[in-house]
Amino acid sequence: MLLDLNDYRNDMKRCARCSICKWPPLAQMKSWRFSQNCPAISRFNFHAYSGGGRMALGLALAEGKLDEADEELSNIVYRCTACGACDSSCKYNSELEVLWPIYATRARLVGAGCFREEHGPIIESLRREDNPLMKSKSERGRWAEGLDVKDLSKGGQAEVIYHAGCLYSFDPELSKVARETVTLLRSAGVEVGIRGAQESCCGSMAFQLGFQGEFIKFAESNIDDWNALGARKVVTSCACGFGIMKAVYPLLGKKMKFEVVHISQYLDELIREGKLQLSKKIPLRVTYHDPCNLGRKSEEYVPWKGTEKKVLGQLIVREPEKTVHRGWEGVYDPPRDVIRAVPGINFVEMERIREYAWCCGAGGGVKTTMDDFALWTAGERIAEAQSVGAEAIVTACSWCERNLRDAAAAQGKKMQVLDIVELVKQAR
Amino acid sequence: MALAKDIYQQLEAVVGPENISGSSAVIWSYMYQPFGNTKGVWAETLPEAVLLPKSTEEVVAIAKICNRHHIVFKAMSTGWGIHNLPGVKGAIVLDLRRMNSILEIDEKNMFAVVEPSVICMQLQVEALRKGLNCHIIGAGSNTSVLASATSVVGYGPDGLSMGFSGRNLLGVEWVLPTGEVLKLGSLGSGDGWFCGDGPGPSLRGILRGWEGAWGGLGVITKCAVKLFHWPGPAELEMKNAQPNYTLKEPIKYFRASLFNFPSLEKLGEAAYKLGESEVGYFITRLSPAFVGLQMAGGMNFVRLWESGMPQEMLKYALLFVIFANSEGEFAYQQKVLDQILEETGGEASPLAETEEMQGLTAISVIKVDAVTRSCFRSAGGFNTSFGAMDTIDLALNQVRAGTELKNSYIKKGVLMEDGGDNSATLVFDQGHMAYTEVLLMYDNHDDKSTEGAMAYIGDSNQACLKKSLGTPIFQLSQVGTGKHGLFSPACFNYDKWQKEIKRVFDPNNTGDPTAYTEPKK
Ligand SMILES: Cc1cc2nc3c(=O)[nH]c(=O)nc-3n(C[C@H](O)[C@H](O)[C@H](O)COP(=O)(O)OP(=O)(O)OC[C@H]3O[C@@H](n4cnc5c(N)ncnc54)[C@H](O)[C@@H]3O)c2cc1C
Ligand code: SF4
Ligand code: SF4
Repeated sequence: MLLDLNDYRNDMKRCARCSICKWPPLAQMKSWRFSQNCPAISRFNFHAYSGGGRMALGLALAEGKLDEADEELSNIVYRCTACGACDSSCKYNSELEVLWPIYATRARLVGAGCFREEHGPIIESLRREDNPLMKSKSERGRWAEGLDVKDLSKGGQAEVIYHAGCLYSFDPELSKVARETVTLLRSAGVEVGIRGAQESCCGSMAFQLGFQGEFIKFAESNIDDWNALGARKVVTSCACGFGIMKAVYPLLGKKMKFEVVHISQYLDELIREGKLQLSKKIPLRVTYHDPCNLGRKSEEYVPWKGTEKKVLGQLIVREPEKTVHRGWEGVYDPPRDVIRAVPGINFVEMERIREYAWCCGAGGGVKTTMDDFALWTAGERIAEAQSVGAEAIVTACSWCERNLRDAAAAQGKKMQVLDIVELVKQAR
Repeated sequence: MALAKDIYQQLEAVVGPENISGSSAVIWSYMYQPFGNTKGVWAETLPEAVLLPKSTEEVVAIAKICNRHHIVFKAMSTGWGIHNLPGVKGAIVLDLRRMNSILEIDEKNMFAVVEPSVICMQLQVEALRKGLNCHIIGAGSNTSVLASATSVVGYGPDGLSMGFSGRNLLGVEWVLPTGEVLKLGSLGSGDGWFCGDGPGPSLRGILRGWEGAWGGLGVITKCAVKLFHWPGPAELEMKNAQPNYTLKEPIKYFRASLFNFPSLEKLGEAAYKLGESEVGYFITRLSPAFVGLQMAGGMNFVRLWESGMPQEMLKYALLFVIFANSEGEFAYQQKVLDQILEETGGEASPLAETEEMQGLTAISVIKVDAVTRSCFRSAGGFNTSFGAMDTIDLALNQVRAGTELKNSYIKKGVLMEDGGDNSATLVFDQGHMAYTEVLLMYDNHDDKSTEGAMAYIGDSNQACLKKSLGTPIFQLSQVGTGKHGLFSPACFNYDKWQKEIKRVFDPNNTGDPTAYTEPKK
């Protein structure tokens, strides 16, 4: 079992209740307007919605003070984008896990059979169609029709496999990004293969909703398939896929004979090596939105296992010492370097960036099941981009793009949302 | 005793259904309060509901409903500590999180008007842009500006240059437990926020007394606080230096220095002189354990501690920061400092001199962002003892008494070994006031350790009485109603006045009395 709430009892028992998880790391706060970091507490306000509040609920649940079937508990637990901002802020001052107890609380509810009605169709779709979007499996590879690319579902092997991910595969507006990715890679001389109709979900949605059995199934089969296809590099443009493959897949203990690469890293490398040249001027003022799963959540997670002992009287130390994942090692510079390589571009940073970036609002199943909350959260990000005078938000995740575009449209805001691949394509 | 349905509905009509909850899940999240708890992390008394009012009008309406139905209520701003929860059954909590605006920054008159949930860091970043700065309490910039100014203590190490929250308080808007709105200072006479003492009623003494009413006298919905001149840039840019953030570029005319003195007496003398000479931005006495815990956690701390380095280098140490407006002023302050060091035998330690340490120290003294790490991460449980705000001499006497007493408990193995002297001593009001608290770390999930910690606190309270070391601030709120009686006979029977105030301002005793006092019968 990957997620057991009891593994996090000591973290939950030692939350200081300091509320630091409600803000970006204090030294990085830049204005009152953008001084929040947690979409959930910002939108719903009761302490229970914050990282610290969720630690308290997890502990109450583990200690039997709360019942898994409590309806309000379920509302709180799932009104959270699992973005990890709380975790990153907390770890500035502590070595506590915050995000993993959040996952583990979800797994506990699911394990007790207390999952939400709206999650039923998602899981059903995952089981039957290998995607959480209620789309037919047979249509998965359609985005690549007509492209000059090796379709591995028809046989053969490839050293570089492009994993489009569910949303880029099925969303009619976004599948353009997948096509452009392949075209760019091919034009840079990369022999890339795709899995076509055989590509399946990375399992991220199942994991985030607490369905660990489903997740493990997808993760293991993906690893097996990529190994069998001779992959050296699995490239994805979906940040959710990248995050889960980097941070969680290794925990399954299966040998991954390939390196997981996000398209922004690959583009950065190809540009540096001169294999991709950007020559067209794009005189646009853009900002970059860090997807949580490409940033702070993509650090490989090493769960601490060991014993605690007391020294110096009551000082608690861990043996072995714990690896602290602060989210500082995420993929932050490559996408920025790619943007800066675009001739004529005017790149400006927002206030909340990198490990303390504000989430777009789509994660943790929120976009699929609570769209109003997702759109509200994205609206806050768009306002932040507007505050620095950006005409476009560049990002590198299908879910972020979908949600930011929907929010801009719903709120009548004039803000372009561009995938980093689209930007590079335009600059060629 | 659940809230009667009709009362719940009346309250719901005030704040809207999204902003009231009596659900177990919401309530249990509020029940988690390790700081100040005598056992574990859960509070004992469940409130019946939590409300999130948005405005003064809503707070007034809630207070009136509570008065009509004899329901006790208690407000919290960020809610850090068990003193935020009502200690009586059937009560409700007002979480003021939605009252979070900075209503005004008056640049010319150097004050800000804030609602309860504005934290110090939010105010500071806005103030810096206008060339101003705000006092931040030692607990950190994650705490409410208003709570410290109106309701709880309010000391912090930048007090040397920016005073004490209680003194920085100007106009106040106060919803009494009865639901009446009282405006203090110039606000009370319709003249704006600029003054705490009039024209208009000056009731700061009633509102706060010495240390604040800890939520026992109604709800403060707005207040103005004094701002101070800021000599630095409008924004401080950071860079990452795992696990810290540090300054990207050094700031001009800023210098943090660490001094060692031959004795505690000499250190005290230097603190007086530095205060009186009106130089410096920040001063704090650094005890070895406190610094060690800021710098390292877990085994890293153990290695550091066992090396004996902090104990050796910081036996009698002061951290002193100069932050000046010009080269000339910087040189002047440095000269004053040098002279005081010469007179008191203080020697600069090379520890603080590197650019790296200057950057890190700048962030921790300006932003006060790393307190949780030194308090909670070592053993989980954290509390404080002693802690009267008085003179520098008294503060140092508390350190002496605290070290001796605490070491006897450390020997029993119930507290974390920190040399006994794990204290933070701050000087404010130009050296006329000082504050010290003797910190203790213990395992709050271990019965033996927790019982030991509570016994130590009990003994430290007795030591305060026996050795005339003043009233320990935090103990007053933590020990709860009736316990003021322990200290008041030694302090002019102050609790008689407190009870009288409570009776007059809160005739129905609807403001939770637990951390304050019961009204006079
Ligand atoms: C680790 C640690 C270190 C600390 N160090 C210091 C220190 O150096 N200096 C210092 O001054 N204090 C210190 N404190 C004490 C105390 O926590 C702070 O003074 C307090 O944090 C102030 O802000 P807050 O937002 O946390 O207030 P809260 O925790 O929200 O409230 C504090 C008290 O004020 C009451 N209150 C809050 N808002 C209102 C309101 N609007 N109307 C009426 N009553 C209200 C609450 O009922 C509660 O009793 C420390 C606490 C901790 C946990
Ligand atoms: S989760 Fe971390 S940051 Fe949040 S309240 Fe707990 S200790 Fe503080
Ligand atoms: S994971 Fe994100 S949304 Fe959830 S509590 Fe933490 S910061 Fe808030």
